[in-house]
Parts: sequence; C-alpha cells; structure tokens
Amino acid sequence: MTEIQSPGDTYSVIGKSVKRIDGKAKVTGQAKYTGDLKFPGMLVGKILTSPYAHARIVHIDTSAAEKLPGVKAVITHKDVPSQKYGISPARWDENIFCIDKALFVGDKIAAVAAVDEETVYKALKMIRVEYEVLPAILDPLKAMDEDAPLIQADYPHNINTEIHQNFGDVEKAFAESFYVRTDRFVGQRAYQTPIEPHSAISLWDGDKLTVYSSTQSPHYFQYYIARQFGLPLGNVRVLKTYIGGGFGGKLEPTGLEFAGAALAKITGKPVKMFYDRHEMFAHNRGRHRQYMNLTTGVDKEGKILGVHADFLMDGGAYTSLGVASAYYAGALLTILYDFPNYRFDMYRVYTNLPACGAQRGHGHPQPRFAFESHLDNIAHHLGLDPIDLRLRNARKPGTITPNEFKVGSCALQAAIEKARDISHWDEKRKTLSQGRGIGIGLGAFVSGAGYPIYRTDLPHAAAVIKVNEDGSSATLYTGAVDIGQGSDTILCQMAAEAMGYSFEKMNIISADTEAAPHDFGAYASRQTLMSGAAVKQAGEEVKNQLLELAASSFGVPAAELDAQAEIIYVKEKPERRRTFADVAREFFVKKGPLVGKGSYIPPKLGGKFKGAAVGTSPAYSFAAQVTEVEVDEETGEVNLVEAWDVHDCGQVINPALLHAQVHGAFFMGMGESVWEEVLFDKKGKILNANLADYRIPTALDMPQFHSELVDSYEPNAPWGVKEVGEGATTPTMGSIANAIYHATGVRINSLPMSYEKVWRALKEKRERDSRANV
Amino acid sequence: MYLPDFDYYAPPDLSEACRLLREFGSRAKILAGGTDLLHKMKHEEFTPEVIISLKNLSALREIRSEPGQDLLIGALATQNEIANSSLLQEKYRSISEAAWNMANNQIRHMGTIGGNIVNAVPSADLPPILIVLGARITLVSTEGERTVPLEEFFLGVHKTVIRDDEILTQVIVPAQTTTGSTYIRFGLRKSGALAIAGVAVAVTMEGEICRSARIVLAAAAPLPLRARQAEQVIVGQRVTPGLLEQAGLAAAQESRPRSSIRGSTEYRRDLIRVLTRRALHKAIQKEHI
Amino acid sequence: MAEVLTDSGQRKYHLINLNVNGDTRTLAVKANALLVNVLRDQLDLTGTKKGCELGDCGSCTVLIDGKPVNSCLVLAVEAEGHEITTIEGVSHNDKLDGLQESFLENAAVQCGYCTPGMILAGKALLTHNPHPSEKEVREAISGNLCRCTGYVNIVKAILAVAEKTAPEEGEQA
Repeated sequence: MTEIQSPGDTYSVIGKSVKRIDGKAKVTGQAKYTGDLKFPGMLVGKILTSPYAHARIVHIDTSAAEKLPGVKAVITHKDVPSQKYGISPARWDENIFCIDKALFVGDKIAAVAAVDEETVYKALKMIRVEYEVLPAILDPLKAMDEDAPLIQADYPHNINTEIHQNFGDVEKAFAESFYVRTDRFVGQRAYQTPIEPHSAISLWDGDKLTVYSSTQSPHYFQYYIARQFGLPLGNVRVLKTYIGGGFGGKLEPTGLEFAGAALAKITGKPVKMFYDRHEMFAHNRGRHRQYMNLTTGVDKEGKILGVHADFLMDGGAYTSLGVASAYYAGALLTILYDFPNYRFDMYRVYTNLPACGAQRGHGHPQPRFAFESHLDNIAHHLGLDPIDLRLRNARKPGTITPNEFKVGSCALQAAIEKARDISHWDEKRKTLSQGRGIGIGLGAFVSGAGYPIYRTDLPHAAAVIKVNEDGSSATLYTGAVDIGQGSDTILCQMAAEAMGYSFEKMNIISADTEAAPHDFGAYASRQTLMSGAAVKQAGEEVKNQLLELAASSFGVPAAELDAQAEIIYVKEKPERRRTFADVAREFFVKKGPLVGKGSYIPPKLGGKFKGAAVGTSPAYSFAAQVTEVEVDEETGEVNLVEAWDVHDCGQVINPALLHAQVHGAFFMGMGESVWEEVLFDKKGKILNANLADYRIPTALDMPQFHSELVDSYEPNAPWGVKEVGEGATTPTMGSIANAIYHATGVRINSLPMSYEKVWRALKEKRERDSRANV
Repeated sequence: MYLPDFDYYAPPDLSEACRLLREFGSRAKILAGGTDLLHKMKHEEFTPEVIISLKNLSALREIRSEPGQDLLIGALATQNEIANSSLLQEKYRSISEAAWNMANNQIRHMGTIGGNIVNAVPSADLPPILIVLGARITLVSTEGERTVPLEEFFLGVHKTVIRDDEILTQVIVPAQTTTGSTYIRFGLRKSGALAIAGVAVAVTMEGEICRSARIVLAAAAPLPLRARQAEQVIVGQRVTPGLLEQAGLAAAQESRPRSSIRGSTEYRRDLIRVLTRRALHKAIQKEHI
Repeated sequence: MAEVLTDSGQRKYHLINLNVNGDTRTLAVKANALLVNVLRDQLDLTGTKKGCELGDCGSCTVLIDGKPVNSCLVLAVEAEGHEITTIEGVSHNDKLDGLQESFLENAAVQCGYCTPGMILAGKALLTHNPHPSEKEVREAISGNLCRCTGYVNIVKAILAVAEKTAPEEGEQA
C-alpha cells in the first residue's frame, strides 16, 4: 500500500486553492480571445460550404465574388496544396477544399477574404457552384450495405475502422455463467459546444507563418500546417491567447487555419477566419452516434465472467480523431470492473454527415452509459442492490486489465462506498416515492494517453523555467494549453513548489510553439500528470542549482539544504537561511541565467496486439456518481434534484479548480443524458445548429451538486496526481439512466433520454400493464 | 452572421410612424423590441427595405387602468415590465406570470407584448392568456384606428388581419367577471425553450359549478386555438377530477399540433391533455385572475 | 433623429452619440450595425463576447439603463440615448467590483468566455435585488449559457456577494 502524503502539511503551494492566474483578466473583460485580436490591415475571411450531403462539384465560378468591392481574394482547391491531411495519420482523408466531391452539408468548397464581415458574407453568396447531387448515406446502419454508394474511394463498404479484439475466452465464460444477458443501446451524436466560436488569424512574414488559433493543441496545428504547406516546423509559429473552451472540439485543424494561411499569403495581409455558431455545428467533430450491443455473463453472486461489446459508430464523412474514438469505445470498458474474458468488435463507418471526433471522455461515455445501464439490468434480474453488484466487481489497485492496461492506484471501492453514504443511498432506494429515483454510475479515464496522435519519439511534455535576474519573479514556459480548465494556474503552482518558490511570483508563457517548449496539448486529460512531470523536473533543476550555490555560503553540502516558500535553509538548522531571491541574484551574477528544464516520456505501456496503444496511460482515475431524479410521469419531464460525485483523482494540486472540473464534467454528461442531440433532416442538413434547439442545460436545470474525493496517491505521477476533467463525464449518463429506471420502472436504452422518450416509455409500460391486468 | 441592409427611421410620434408605414407599406417592418425581428432578419426570413423603429413612442409603454375599467397595456410594454407591473401582479397575475415564464431575463427586457402578438407564431405565450381574458387590440393607421378582438386577429403562422399600414398600439383587457385564470407552458428545458404546448384557461366558478370557461391552446395549431369542445365539457357542470380529465381529452382531440424536432404530434397532444387538466385545476383553485 | 451621412458608395451612416461606461462617443454607424459589433469593432470593447449571435447564449450581455440585454439583438442606432454598461465599466480604475472579486474567490471562472455576460447579469440582479434566493440567482443567469462550470460556482459567487452586504432596513434577509 502506498503511503499517502497529505499536501498542505508538507507543501507550501500545491494542495491550495490559489486564485486563477488568468482570473483578473477574465472578470474584467481584458482577456483577449483569438476573435478579439486585431492587426493592422487585417482582413476577415470565411469559408463557403456545401449545401448538399453528397455531390460532385461540376464547376465553381468565383468571378462575381471577386468583383465585389472590398473582396481581396477568393480561393478554391486550385489555390491550395492538394495533399490530404487529417489528425489521425492512419487515415488522412481530408482536403483543405473539396476537389471532386462534397461529402456532407458543410464540406469546405471555397473561401473569401475581404475588408469587413459584411462584404465577406455578401461575397460568399456570389460564388456560383454547380453541383451534381449524388445519393447520400445518412443512416450508419445502411453504410455497409452492398448497394450503398461509396463515400471515400479508398474505403470499401464505407468502413473507416474495423476492430476485432479477443481476450481470454468469452464463449466459454458465457457457457459457464449463471446468467447471460444482452442489451442494445444507442448513443446520440452530440456536440462539444464551447461557448467561444472557433477562429484563427494567419500572418506571414516572408516565408514564416504565424497563426493565432483557438486551439487545444498548438503543436498538432503547427505539425499539420507545416506539413500541408511544405514548411519546416521552425517556420510555423502557432500560439493562442485565451481559449473559450474546447472539450475536444478544438483539438484538430478546423480548416480555418489552412484557408486563412492561404488567403493571408495571397493578399499579403493578416486574415482572421471564424465560424458562426451554425458553422461550428456543421464542422462538428463531436461525439459519435454509437450502436452498442453488450452481452455479459455473471455467476450467481453477480461476479462478471465475460463481456462482449459489439459496436458500430457513425463516423461522418471523414476520419477526424475517430480511429482513436473507435478503439477507446471498447478499450476502456475493462478498466472499472475486473473480469478476465473480453471481446470487442467495432465498425466505424463513413456517412454523408459531419465528421465526429473526440468529445470530453473520448469515445467512452456512451459505452459507459450502456454498460452501467446493462449492469443495473443484471442487478435487477439477480435481485441485487446495484451498488453491491458493483462492489463485487470493482477493480483493485495494482491489477492488469485483460487488454493489458496496468492500473496502479485505484480507490474505486472507497469512492463507491463514500458515494453510497453521502447520498443516503440505502435509505433512498427504499423510501423514495413513485416518480422519484436514485441511480449510480461509475466512471474512469486515462491520465494522459500513453502514445501521441502521430508516431514520434518526441517527449510528451517539456518545460523551461527562467528565474528573473534579481530573483523577484520566475517565468514558466510550457507548451501545455489552458483552455479554461486552469492548467496555467496549477502548472505554476507545481513549478513554485518544485523550486521552493511562491505562486504569486510566477509568470507563465504557455502554448506558443516558438516561445515555449514542445507539449502535445490539452486532450486525454494529460496535462496535470504529463506536463506537470516536466514542470516538476524543471523546478527541481532550478532548486538544485540554487542549493549547490548556497551550499558554499552555508558551508554545508547541498544535500543538507532545502528550499520552500522562497526560503533556502539548512534542514537541520532552519534558522540558517537565505532568501530565494538573494541566492538567485547571486547565481545570475556568477553563472548567468538561472534556468531549469524538464521533459516527460511515459513508460513503455500496453500489449502487442493491434490497437493495444489506445487506452494505455500511466494512471487511471476512478469515479462514482449518484444522481437523484424526479420524473413527471405524465409529461416525461426529467428534473435532476441532486447529484454526488466521488472521485479518485490522486493528489490534488488545486482543490477549487479540481472540483470546478467535476462540476463541468458532470454538466456535460447531464446535458447529453437528457437534453442534447444533433439532429438532421432527410437531406443531411442539421436541424438544430443553434443554442435554442441544441439544448445545453441552463442554470435552472442544474441540480444541487456535491463533489467529494477519496484519499489516493498515484506512484507513477508527480506528487501522486491523476486526471479529473474527463473522468467525471463518464459515469453521468449511466447514473441518470439508472435513476430514471428507479423512479419509473422504465429503462431508456437510447440517448438522450428526452422527455418525449420517457413519456413514450411510460405510456407503453402503462399499456403493457393494463393488458396484463385484463 | 449579419443583417441585410435597410433604411432606418425612428419617427418622433405615432402619426409620423403611421405616415412612414403608409409610404413604405409591405417594404417596411416595425421594430419594437427586436428579439424576433432581428433574429428572422439574420436568417433572411425577412428582408425589409425599411425599418421603422418605435423607440421614441414612449407613451406606448404604459400599463394602466382605472378602477372598474378596462386594463390598457401599451404595445411597447416589455415582457419584464408586464411581469413586474404591480398593477398586473395584483389584478391580472396570470398575465404577469405568463410574461415572466415565457423567456429569459435578457429577452424579457427587450421583447414586447406587441411584438409577441404581431409576430404571430403558434408558440407565442401571451396571446392565449390574453384571449381567454377577452382582450382586444387597437390598430392604428393614417386612416384612423380600429379595435379587434385578439381572438379574431390571427389567421395562421405569420398571418394576421393587420394591414401593411397599421401599427398595433395597445392591448385592452376588459374588467373581469372570471374567478380564476392561468397559463401553463411546457418547454424542453427550464429556460430558453419555446413552448411545445401551452394552455390558457379562464373560468368563472360559482361554488363547485363552472359557470363559464374559456380555454386557448398554444403551439397546438397554426394559430392560438380556442378549445371549445373542452369548454363545453365543463361549463354548467359540477367540477370533479374526472370531468377535468375529460376536458383535457377533449382539448387534446381538437388540437392540431404539428410534428417537429421539438416533439411529435402524438406527444404534444398528450401534453395538451395534461396541461389542460392542470390549468383548469389551478384556475379553479385560484381566487384571483 | 440622428444625422445621416452618405459615402461615395451610397452607403448611409447614422451619426450617433453612444454613452458607454459613462463616456459619450460620437460614431458613424450603418443602420444594420449591431450594438455588439460596434462595441467590439469600433470601440474595442471586446469584453463583450459573441457566442451565438441569436440571443440564445447571453455572451454578449450588456446593461442598457441597468437592464441586461443581448447586444447581438440590438441595433446600435437603437442604443442612442441610453446608458450602456459593458464588462469594462464594471470595475473602477484598477479596483474590482465585489462581484468580480467573488467570481475569483469562488472559482467561478473557467474558460472565461461567458464570464463578462454572467457578471453583468449578476450585477443587474444584485442592483435591484441585493439579497436574492438561490432560485432567483439561477433564474437571473438562465439566459447565460456556460459550458465549463455547471453554474455551481457562479451561483455561489453571486450569492456570496449578497451575503456580504448587510440587508437594508425593512428588508427581509
């Protein structure tokens, strides 16, 4: 058992709820997001998109648009490199602009740069595109049909990704089971819906391109922009200012960067490109629609013996991050419960709909919804309390999953028990009145992906800390990306702790490919652990250099010194001390700049089978969530009354920011549970590409919410940290589904569990019941 | 997004507004709160050449009544002014409640009662409660003015009896003999969601007997729909829970909601059944309008 | 009525006086110019954000005569003659308003994109109702969508300001 260290006792900076480093800029309106930036002579640009789901492009006539006063350039595929790109190198299948065919409503056809927004909008309407409309596939279940039209020429049967993984012997496990159950679930297409729309500003200086972008990963953007335009990485600088949320939707190139770079090159002017809200929905890259068949065999006591997950997902017209999404969907089903036999089959198919990608909890929340619902059905059949069934199967620390993920720290059992206690589960399961119910769902997630998106031996994270010459401040340079989650703040806390410095004197320059060292960015809940490890190393290097120097003035070996809270002192005689600033200044005078650096490469992880990399991580978080709901059994209206999340997220760097992550993660899961779904008409056009009918919940819909922790320390991580930002999204849909079931006796197998679906299920149940009584 | 070009006028008084409207006719649109007009213009559902703003016509914001007289609500009164009016809260609480529940705070500060009526969409929340209370509206043009019962104003989606040269200036709610009224709406989220079904009722009770009842449905037809069969179920009857359920069933039957992404016909019909029963129950229990 | 100027392209501009954060600025705007764009592009007050441009998200909330409205649904010409407050007008010199402080203390800020609108919606509530209930707070910000916080800490931050101010005489705390 790992010894648990409690921050606060030993630490002076981490473990404390310091205020956000960017807070003041944000509450005063001074924080400039990409769309707020202005450069002299800046033009604005927009992309023209296809109105058809599947169409051959016969002819594009840009002449009228070019003649409109104020228009500076109109470009099509002829004006940009024609090589394909993507985010997942296994399947590069996108072009900057469509060449022969448009593959969905919203596919990119041309772009305009002009002096102002109004002119751009007018010019877009003046581009004449002649299309030959082709039959489209809008139903993923028909994508693999023999007579289905082919969407991408290189992918027969419209299969984008096919996965068949088999661990142990599932058939044998089922044969030996006391009870084998199959359920089918459907997860809807959802959208990340950051409140800040995407934008990008491109500026050229000779052969050097600078792109300000609303991105979760300047590094990947830099990599893909450089590749696309044939530039060395060093000639492309990608940076961001403030980011208004991402949730996975700003992880891959949006097209704005490529089109903007091309327009800026042609016009010789900075170009700001942006999406309107409806264009964000059309570009999409949100959560896949998934069809999920689950079969599970259990013994008499409810111990899980084997699981078969047989899934199909609607990928939309392009790969996006979908290869990873497809693998994640099955890979992470093995984390929470300990069972030896597992089989996972998946088809990710192309359709003529917007591409899907990574959304908070990447690939995992919907399968988790399915599995948690499925487990409740099993508990019901066996006459077991759903929590008892989960405790019976809950993973233990220091175990290995059938698909070869090593789980180090794991306080899942404690989390379940605490959730049961604080929610008054036992009492409420028995006493809640009809229409009111309580349900549980568990969740887990990676603390950073074991492997980056494209194959490379670069470290996953790196950091540099430079101390000011008089020691009165220090600057952390990191490629890590603060998209709102607060990484700038916690990384500065980590830097200060490692240096023996104070948070208040830290500055940060982050997410700038030129000024800061490489880091892969904000995705897969990786930064606290991975970027944090690099920052810790950099901070310790600063500290060690100071201790070395101070050692001679104290006349003791450096090993007998330490630094904390800006004081360098002799450990045995703490009254012998010098200030950090004093020693830092001396260092600069005698040795030059005081700089520390660090980098992080995860240990070798995972098995040797195909797709073994996806789901590997140095550490896994665990969560138990309980939700109490009230259902209006006449209208189907679902009212969330109260919810409790108990998290095993390792040691905590900033409790206030950590709980805030849980709030938001639950909130997204809750929206997808009942309210959110991207809907299409019969021609593939989105029907609700707005925030009135794509209903993210309002402040009035949010229940009373409690976020609690269990003691945990992850030995593979700096200061024992783990992730939190995505893990808390994964249990929510299942917990709400189970609460609705408890409240009403109806099981809703498809997301979202909208009022109408609940109403219909209740109506059908009443009809069944009355027939049974006749 | 952007707004298509237009010429803008902000006349100083009503007569100049009427003159401009006469001059431009169907090429012009009246701008009151703008929450709906500008929304539609951004989508190019409307592309007026001329916008005539009523911003200077502050007299049209007034809400007033003399004891025993009609209640007058100026067409430019915002939803929040209606929701927060002490006069309405005291004497016509069902109207102020309907205004409060119809939209979020930002929209309520801009959206006007006149706009909510003239816009003529099936999901509009104020017309049903105003109709059950027997409201009339005043339409003014250079030719003079006329008064129209609100119930006769609507012809269909975006279709009303208003002429191109007329401006809606006020809503008149007569002094009430009804004993209770209410409007219940159902949206798909607790704020920022259009009504997918709504029911307004006004009843006159004498002990347990319902002497009169008016029921108007929102989002149940192309226009606010008077549920006459449901009314007939309860008028002259002693009110029982079973009777209210029957009225709900009748209202559901005579409703003609369309299927949309917000709800199927079948679902909306059943909502109307439930809401009608609940609204009747509430109005009967109430001791105020 | 404001003076109307016509440029060489026959475009008409209205000369308007806009009172923003206590200062009056004279601007030439087209009739179709939206307040949100004039604030951001002509006055560089980019604290007012654009999130949906249809009045659904509240990111562009400003106060007009103390009332929160969506500036994406207001013509700039219509705002003349009113007092407009943007997020830049909430703090005084370098001193933060109590509600801004409370947002920082209660970790109510994440990505920050909804924050200006939230603070203005909260300000407007507290001005006319200094001691709101939790329900009233939630109602007052229900036109402001946030994707990061689940509103938990935003509600807490607004209520914390209400708790700090003493109830006025005669007011029920």
